[in-house]
Amino acid sequence: MPLDEYDKIAHLLRRAGFTAHPDELDAAAARGLQATVEDLLNFERFPDVSPDPEILTALDLPQSDFNRDDFLNKLTRWWLHVMATTPRPLQEKMVLFWHGLFATSVRGLEFWQQIYLQNENFRGNFDPDTGQLLRPALGNPFPVGSFRRMLEYLSKDPAMLYWLDNQFNVKKSSEVGSNENYARELHELFSMGVEDVVAKVPNYTERDIRQASRALTGWRVLQRAAGFTFPRVFSFDSARHDFGPYEHLGKRGGTNADFIFDNIVRHRNPGQKQSAVGRFLGFRLFQFFGYEDPEPEIINALADVFDGAYGEEPFNIRNMLRVIFTPGNLVSEAFYSERAFRARVKSPTEYVVSLVRLLTFNRATGRPDGLSSSPNVRRLVQNGMIQMGQQLFAPPDVSGWREGLAWISTTSILARFNFANDILALQVTQGGIDLTRLLAQAGLQEALPQQRYGEVVDFFARLLWPSPPSADAREALIAYLQAPIPNASSNDVGNLKIRGLIHLMLAAPDFHLS
Amino acid sequence: MNKTTRREFIKKSGLTVLSVGLSQQVFWRHVRAASESVLTQAAALSPVDRVLVVIQMDGGNDGLNTVIPLSGSAASLYRQYRPTLAIPEANVLPLGTDAAGTLIGFHPNLQLLKELYAQGHVAVIQSVGYPNPNRSHFASQDIWHTADPEGRKRTGWLGDYLDVAFPSSDNPLLAVSLAGARLPLMLRAEHVLVPAIGSVDNYQFRTQPSGDHQNKMRAFLALNRETASDHRLREQIRLIALDTYESVEMLQSGIQRYTADPTIVYNMQNPLARALRQVAQILAAKLGTRILYVSLGGFDTHQSQATPHANLLARLSEAIATFYADLVRLGQDDRVLLMTWSEFGRKVVENGNQGTDHGTVGPQLLIGTRVKGGIIGEHPSLRAEDLNPGLGDPKFSVQSLDFRSTYATILEKWFLVDSREILGGAFELLDVLQG
Repeated sequence: MPLDEYDKIAHLLRRAGFTAHPDELDAAAARGLQATVEDLLNFERFPDVSPDPEILTALDLPQSDFNRDDFLNKLTRWWLHVMATTPRPLQEKMVLFWHGLFATSVRGLEFWQQIYLQNENFRGNFDPDTGQLLRPALGNPFPVGSFRRMLEYLSKDPAMLYWLDNQFNVKKSSEVGSNENYARELHELFSMGVEDVVAKVPNYTERDIRQASRALTGWRVLQRAAGFTFPRVFSFDSARHDFGPYEHLGKRGGTNADFIFDNIVRHRNPGQKQSAVGRFLGFRLFQFFGYEDPEPEIINALADVFDGAYGEEPFNIRNMLRVIFTPGNLVSEAFYSERAFRARVKSPTEYVVSLVRLLTFNRATGRPDGLSSSPNVRRLVQNGMIQMGQQLFAPPDVSGWREGLAWISTTSILARFNFANDILALQVTQGGIDLTRLLAQAGLQEALPQQRYGEVVDFFARLLWPSPPSADAREALIAYLQAPIPNASSNDVGNLKIRGLIHLMLAAPDFHLS
Repeated sequence: MNKTTRREFIKKSGLTVLSVGLSQQVFWRHVRAASESVLTQAAALSPVDRVLVVIQMDGGNDGLNTVIPLSGSAASLYRQYRPTLAIPEANVLPLGTDAAGTLIGFHPNLQLLKELYAQGHVAVIQSVGYPNPNRSHFASQDIWHTADPEGRKRTGWLGDYLDVAFPSSDNPLLAVSLAGARLPLMLRAEHVLVPAIGSVDNYQFRTQPSGDHQNKMRAFLALNRETASDHRLREQIRLIALDTYESVEMLQSGIQRYTADPTIVYNMQNPLARALRQVAQILAAKLGTRILYVSLGGFDTHQSQATPHANLLARLSEAIATFYADLVRLGQDDRVLLMTWSEFGRKVVENGNQGTDHGTVGPQLLIGTRVKGGIIGEHPSLRAEDLNPGLGDPKFSVQSLDFRSTYATILEKWFLVDSREILGGAFELLDVLQG
């Protein structure tokens, strides 16, 4: 059965954003699918998120006063809050995409502050040449501009230069630079992969890696720059640089990494119509937004857009996203298909953000309040993310997190259950969810004393689950609401039962799916 | 009851038990009875009823101050290179002579391990490492975890073993990690799910208030018992959720079977002892668990290392000795093998901060009643020509032992499986285990 327009909008807002409150869904439905897609894609229409003053203050602390773990907790809380509250959900979803693709971990960094700069770089708000945070940083192509330019901004990113050692890469010989670590991941993980995603032929040779490493020599981070407390300004050291010419992906020439970046984005394997990078990104993007293992036709259609096959600007990520989300083409048919609907396992990030978004939504302002910055919440969220298996800014390795069903294990199921319990157990004064307001805005403050159990279950199912509860599930939840709590005072029972109901719905299979 | 029907029982008939309104107590008893009867049988069905306990010494243990040379050039060079850190000869606990004729001994804080060694239960494997050593903690740990020096594999060697040896097991506690929230890569498998349990006490469904726990769990089970066979992903999630429920129940009820012995006291200030006590609890519960993983951190001793390193070795020694005594008491020592590992040894030459930097090879210990005690291999040579130029750590040489030899030996001689596919090749087998 094809999805109706309302289902399509709900699906779109779950995938291209972080789920929507029923009020937002109703508003989007009134505007229509096409207009909703355009609002998501052209997110510059809406204000950008604000930086967190606490984080900015920490960046300026002398290194001796800088507390890594505290900083990471603040940063994690802030980014989750941003994802839950941003008026630009697709922008934030793409920052998350790039964090997973260009996976960088603080565990490999001496200066953890750099990971925040990278996060802003992926948002388009960092200029590596000056080390400045700007909103936006003019010329920065992230998160939806030219991928060709992104490779440049990624390669200049201070955290990346530390993480994959390219800052130590100096001229060595006509065969190789002194450190090929970054050159390798640039090909293998960041742009095209070992094999062409469709043709399954090798994309490059070991020699291509070594030659590329030559072109990436001399890229450094200034150890000291006026006004900054840690290394954050990119610098090019011509004395350490190998000026070529290089032999890379079948071409000879170049004096710097521009040659390598140009070769990468245009690289086609013999007999292949689409570029290797177009296919790789088409595959990764559709896998992230649509479903796992997309068909070759979908990958190729997205690669054509990347390649500018129809005269559009090449290498443009926003154009690819437009094709995925705008109805009326082969790719979006797949995106809005039954196969895609409710068929993605939420990552821990999506899990947390969606629950925060839905449960802190204020119907009076039409916006979610987001995640409190109280120390209780910061700790709870950081621990929860670690237990659930996705500590932001600390992916397990440079290939990022394994998505899909890999998110679900006995450990993570328990972690999600316990996280939902803990966050619901927090009182408003501790940064917890304002249940009184939630119930009042739903007209349900008296619902339990009046034994309107079914109404309560239906309200929360509509709020939290992608589809209505089955008769059995509804019955089990009603039975739960009715089951007495030994030793609880009658004043508390209503509140405890509502919290328990929400907890159960967040721990159910339906809430793990997007 | 075979595996399928056990799953059916827990996942389907449990619902019937509930829905006909039996009391909670009766329900729990049913679940327990089901787990016990089947697990006993499942254990009997499997080819080998043996257990491996992995002890990670996280941070890069200073092997040279763990197993110390007492004779030959190594002894004199050791004292020369370690002006402040060398352990006085008189304090070293002599073990015996190795294959190259070097007398070696334990750090004085390994007294309890020395006693186990004297009883023939400890094999000291020397100079273990791999060619082209990587001195990054993360890279080198990944190499040890995956048994892949190229660093390309995404599953661990023990995870691969679980996939090979237990392709159709539905025991959610086949292996258990007690080393924090993140599953060590060594146990990551394609198919078998291994829980990472921070601690046995925390491996529970938390509900507030506790008085509502039974109500909540009943609803949780009901929500996860609801099939939607047309939705494959939802089905998989709910089955894992039921596995989770089952593993929590198995673990929490199982560990009740462990009773402490007043003469065997785990030092609860010692994190490794705390973890090994939980290992003993899990083993006593007879849950069919084959691999348990624990970790002791703090071995990255770049400065003023003498005291902290000595304390760590004391913890290691104390925890293992207590655990071993407990295994003997529980009658399980015969089926349990312990293996220690660390991502690398440290430099021979101490640094300017009374510490040592990341190095290469180091010793590994195998401990257990079925271990053939003794010294395997040669102490690393400390002669200048045998050190990596400019780096001051032993080269990986013909005298060194590839770490995959230890793995291959455990796979072939302890778990009785073919190691070649798991390790991507054949490695020398060590004569360290009784048949």
